[in-house]
Amino acid sequence: MPITTGAPPTRTTPAAVASGFLTGGVIGASLAALVVGGIVGNAPLFVTGLALPAVYGLLFHLAGAPRRAREAALAPRTALAMIESREAVGGEATSDVAVRFELTVAPDDVPAYRVAFTQNINLVELPDYRPRGVVVVQYPPDRPWRVRIVKRPTPKWEERAAGARVDSAPGPAMVGETPESSAVGVVTLLALLLAAAGVVLLFRADLFDQDTSAHPPSATGPSPSVSSSTSSSSTTVVSSASATVALGPDQTFLDKGELRRAVGSLAKGTNTRAALTVVVQERLLSVVYASTDAQAPTFDPDLLPYDRFPALVKEARSSPGVGSPQTWQITVERLTGSLTVRVGVTGTEGAASLEADARGEVVRRTPAH
Amino acid sequence: MGLQGYLALWCGAFGTLALVGYARSLAGVTRAQRAVRVMGRIERVREPRHGSSQHDGIPVVVSFQDPGTGQEFTVTNDGDHGERITTAWTGREIGVRYPRGRPHAYRFVGDLWAGRRGLGWPNFAIFLIYVGLVVFAAVDRAWPWALIGFGVPWTLSGAWYLPQSDRAVSRRFEGLTSQPPVRGRVVAVLTDTSTDEDGHTSTSHTPVIAFTTHEGTTVTAYCPDGLPDPAQSHGRDVTVHYTSDDPAVFTVNLAAEHRSRSLDTVFGVVALLVGVAAVVAGALLL
Repeated sequence: MPITTGAPPTRTTPAAVASGFLTGGVIGASLAALVVGGIVGNAPLFVTGLALPAVYGLLFHLAGAPRRAREAALAPRTALAMIESREAVGGEATSDVAVRFELTVAPDDVPAYRVAFTQNINLVELPDYRPRGVVVVQYPPDRPWRVRIVKRPTPKWEERAAGARVDSAPGPAMVGETPESSAVGVVTLLALLLAAAGVVLLFRADLFDQDTSAHPPSATGPSPSVSSSTSSSSTTVVSSASATVALGPDQTFLDKGELRRAVGSLAKGTNTRAALTVVVQERLLSVVYASTDAQAPTFDPDLLPYDRFPALVKEARSSPGVGSPQTWQITVERLTGSLTVRVGVTGTEGAASLEADARGEVVRRTPAH
Repeated sequence: MGLQGYLALWCGAFGTLALVGYARSLAGVTRAQRAVRVMGRIERVREPRHGSSQHDGIPVVVSFQDPGTGQEFTVTNDGDHGERITTAWTGREIGVRYPRGRPHAYRFVGDLWAGRRGLGWPNFAIFLIYVGLVVFAAVDRAWPWALIGFGVPWTLSGAWYLPQSDRAVSRRFEGLTSQPPVRGRVVAVLTDTSTDEDGHTSTSHTPVIAFTTHEGTTVTAYCPDGLPDPAQSHGRDVTVHYTSDDPAVFTVNLAAEHRSRSLDTVFGVVALLVGVAAVVAGALLL
């Protein structure tokens, strides 16, 4: 069989890239499925995360079986070789050292060729492999660059090697298969990230919009569910007992429509629950809900006169004797029977407050004192 | 899908695998059944080099004949070729196994006929089905089922193997003491250094002894146990007790052999008791 003296194939073939892409995708998707399935409690998704790599590994193994069978069916060739050079390249901490050999391999039936490869050699046996020494090597007939030094040759080959002389072959040395190029690595990583992102995107609704309607408290044991979400402008935390919305630094609940929007986002999550108290500050809205069995008077936080709130705050701030106003707070409750909106402001010189009714009409003023 | 669905899926998948495996075994087409198994003969034994690694085994030259073609092969234990050869003498028989038509892929085996029906994987699938059933019972019914499910097979296998292993150990001890010992010598100490991920270096030393039996056979063997201070034992003379029908059964420390025999029995009994205790505790807690 003629020896192909060309360079051995590198591994940046379309097939290698495709296989890297698939492998990365499977790893990313199964990891994401495990994590997402665990977080949202989706058992089929979790099982998919376990089964996918197993099935893929099985298919990968089966796909490579014909090639492996073909390679295994070929008996390795044995030949004499002469050591051109050797160099230890690592592994000094153990008894084996990795040695980079360059050999001239002299098969009986084809021209001699040079080859470079790395093989682990025991420190004690290293003196057996001196430059210019003749050794016995084996290689697969279809891959002459995959050479291995036979440390224990059969008596026949041992005798041949003892009396043999091998001349150096000219030309550059064949090197073994190059390790996977970085392109395959990049594609693998890319596929991994894409697949993971795809799974997260597919299940983003379950991941980010978990609310009490999706997970009603079980009848046997009430367990408060808490969800939180953060957007660029505000942070919302909703539990079964209360909800808060915190605004970002450059916003205020006195901005037009901000309050209604915030309450609207809560109402979506709370299914128009009965509120005990609503408290509004510059950048913080909190709603305390009544428990289902409570007898306290409640109100629907959706129906408050939010459009009137900025005007009420402005009016309270302009109360005589407050000085330059600094902080304000609106508290809404109906403990006394009718809905009361109480607006308090604190200024440099004193504090003032006013009360309004359900329509936002001022019913009482308490000037600064 | 509930717990029962997963159990059905688990049992179905592994049951199918097991059935396929048993069918293949019945049809005689498993890899183990198609493998060629021949008895080889050790033609030459070399002493391992002092200080080299114990992973490669004792250097031997083995010859065997392919029953299909009648071709004679002479091979060595270079590289990865099955079980490590730790006891060798010229003329010793050694099992050789390879896929049909591929004598170059020979592998040395101690027991030539072990696993010849290729039932390992199907049996393992049945075991996994059993584990699935026990886990289901423990989760779905009551957790003490796990104790019973684990304890019953453990106890049964212990009760089955304990007398057998006791008899084997007795036979071995009688064989070792049935004839006068011979002189042997530590001809090499094999050294292996390894480094773990923390950078700690550990070194193991395996003495290799050579002794000549009363019948004149020179045996070379690894002697991992029984020698004090193995690192410094190179060149030391030792007294070797061996069994006459198989010199691979030997010891250089008969007293330690005696101690380990008692220890083996104690260990077997304790293991058996653990199994019984698990079953009893499980039954009481149900």
